[in-house]
Amino acid sequence: MRQDHPAIVSGMLTGWISIGVGSAIMALWLAQPIDLALAAPVLFAMQFNTALCFVVSGAAVCLLLADARRMSIVLAGLAALFAAAMLAEHILAIDLKIDRLFITPFVTVGANPAGRMAPNAALCFVLINAAVILSGILGRTSHIRVVLAALVFLISTSALLAYLLTISTAHNWLPLARMSPQTAFCFFALSTGLIFTGIERLGYHPPVVAATLAAATYFLLLTLTYVELRRQEVLFTQELPASEHGNARSTLLAVLLLSGAVYACLIIYAFRSSERSRKMALQLSESRKRLAAIIDTAADGFITIDQRGTILSVNPACEAIFGYPADEMIRQNIKMLMPRHDDHKQYAASAEETGMAATAGAVRELEGQRKDGSTFPADLSVARIDLDDQVLYSSVVRDISERKAYERDILDANAELEEFSYRTSHDLRSPIASSLGLMSIVQDMIRQGAGVPELQPVLSRIDQSFRKLDHLIQNIILLTRTKVMDEPESTIPVAHTVRETLERLRHMDGGRLSTVHIDIPDTMVVRRKASRFQIIVDNLLSNAIKYHDPAEQVPEIFVRASAVKGRFVLSVADNGLGIPPGSEPQLFQMFKRFHPQHAPGSGLGLYILRKSVEHLGGTVAYRRQDKGSIFTVTLPEEKRR
Amino acid sequence: MHSILTVDDDENDQFICTYTIRRFDPDIKVLKAMNGLEALNLLRGTTPDAVILDINMPVMNGFEFLEHYKKEFDTHAPVVAMLTSSHHAADRERALRYDFVKSYFEKPLTPENLRVMSVLLGKEKHRT
Repeated sequence: MRQDHPAIVSGMLTGWISIGVGSAIMALWLAQPIDLALAAPVLFAMQFNTALCFVVSGAAVCLLLADARRMSIVLAGLAALFAAAMLAEHILAIDLKIDRLFITPFVTVGANPAGRMAPNAALCFVLINAAVILSGILGRTSHIRVVLAALVFLISTSALLAYLLTISTAHNWLPLARMSPQTAFCFFALSTGLIFTGIERLGYHPPVVAATLAAATYFLLLTLTYVELRRQEVLFTQELPASEHGNARSTLLAVLLLSGAVYACLIIYAFRSSERSRKMALQLSESRKRLAAIIDTAADGFITIDQRGTILSVNPACEAIFGYPADEMIRQNIKMLMPRHDDHKQYAASAEETGMAATAGAVRELEGQRKDGSTFPADLSVARIDLDDQVLYSSVVRDISERKAYERDILDANAELEEFSYRTSHDLRSPIASSLGLMSIVQDMIRQGAGVPELQPVLSRIDQSFRKLDHLIQNIILLTRTKVMDEPESTIPVAHTVRETLERLRHMDGGRLSTVHIDIPDTMVVRRKASRFQIIVDNLLSNAIKYHDPAEQVPEIFVRASAVKGRFVLSVADNGLGIPPGSEPQLFQMFKRFHPQHAPGSGLGLYILRKSVEHLGGTVAYRRQDKGSIFTVTLPEEKRR
Repeated sequence: MHSILTVDDDENDQFICTYTIRRFDPDIKVLKAMNGLEALNLLRGTTPDAVILDINMPVMNGFEFLEHYKKEFDTHAPVVAMLTSSHHAADRERALRYDFVKSYFEKPLTPENLRVMSVLLGKEKHRT
């Protein structure tokens, strides 16, 4: 049974009080101080048996709270049995010979047989220990336990109050209150402990329970007093003659009783309403905490400003978005975060503007400025808050630079795709149109009676057209592969790859004209996706060979590779045709051709080169030389494995 | 028609043009340009009776040529645009926006095209 710590401690304390008082009284009975008994007989109003039961019951309560339930049940059972036997003696008027089981009393206080526990004390022990046993068996607190303990509380409290009000006749004037003050105190302690340990578990609030108990006790006392006085009134009715209009005393009593009831109701009402307001305050602070948690963890920035544009509050997301710590933003003007957003008046105006629609999520785009001066596109929605004494504006800011970048990428990709489809449709149709034209020419020539030698050049033109088409289709296939293919990285010997590629390219036009200088260490290896690396080397070398300058006496190509700060740099320089000045921006775009007369091409080569390099995370650059070009491919540092 | 300028980067297409024009009327003089730039240079010296213009060319394409031709020349020879595919409505409209562009044909050039052309240009001449 896990309970709240303070409740356990106070519950334990009541158990120890019971044990302490019980032990003290037992000690007195054993010491038999005759003088003390004569001087203060009230001390011996609690019988030895009663004191013993208090020690046992107190221990049972402590053990229950310490979660030693079995032991607690045993002790409580013993005490309850003993008390029940005493109670039976009283009710059935028998003697079970247990009154003087432990000691023979040396004095007798009150009307009970020597050593016999008072009947109401016995009843209280039965109730208290029943509550303990019940809790021990259930392993948790229950309503019955509270009701049982509350009964004991009522009995003991009314007895205590009776002592306080009319000290001399107290233990005699009511049958239930016939209980010594120390007994009443011990029961009060024990019942309080049992009621309040874990009462919150049952959904009650201690102040309300306390108020209810106080009111019930008060009401009980009033009722008992009223009944007692009515009894006495009947006894002495001759001395208190009733007038025709009723008895003034009974009227007074009725008024007293009524006022008591009203008082009791008022107490309960006051406690209940205070409890309700406490609960509301708690809920309010909880909901505020919940809201704060949402705002603090939101990815969007929340800013509150006043009418002059002064920042009143920001959430942590604002710190991340704008790069300022919160205290550098608070009490500053909103202008520092949105400089283009001219002034707060406009800000306010935008709030008025979007105010109505703010609930519908009207968002406007503007430029935000970070602490480092960089700007970013942001979405802003502003809502006007009308308070009693001022107007505030609450705004939500979202950094949308990432979204904008994606948008741009998508638009770029789309434009590229459109260009691609336009160009391919043109370039695919073009050789076919030529072939069709050439075919009709061939047919026409045959009709004219032309011979094979005359037809031959036209046929070779058809052949050339189809080769052009085939080349384009090959390149498109290569491009598609570059885009979709996923392959693992493998170790590639760079110098070997370059030499092998050159050997293959020797067979193309002009392949034997150029002198190639290779400056790559034989041991150099890279770990990359092999097919893409091959595409890069192919493109660089074939371009250098293809676009050599026919006027150059010695067409030369320089191939270099090196590792610079972990990056791989491959450069191919030539003294060839270069590209026309001003055409650099189009160089790596698709379907751009700069020397159409010089050599056939699809216009896709450098585009494929760029796409392959970018796929490997690198960059490709072009540099004009006095004569010719240098293409430099830089690949990023290899991933550590 | 006495002379026609053909502007096309593709040698095969040039061959087709020349052959078709010869077959149509051997007396027509055929001038050749490989791209827009060459064509403009050629046009500075002479004004042919018609220009057959390829639109997709490197260095200076058909549209760039038309723009320069419009701005830099006072008298314009009638132009017929050659489209690779007539499905690109945007290309067609863009070419026909120039008032000296009289018509467009889809490649390859046929004798039928030339007949239409001569009728068209004959009318033009008649009108002016």
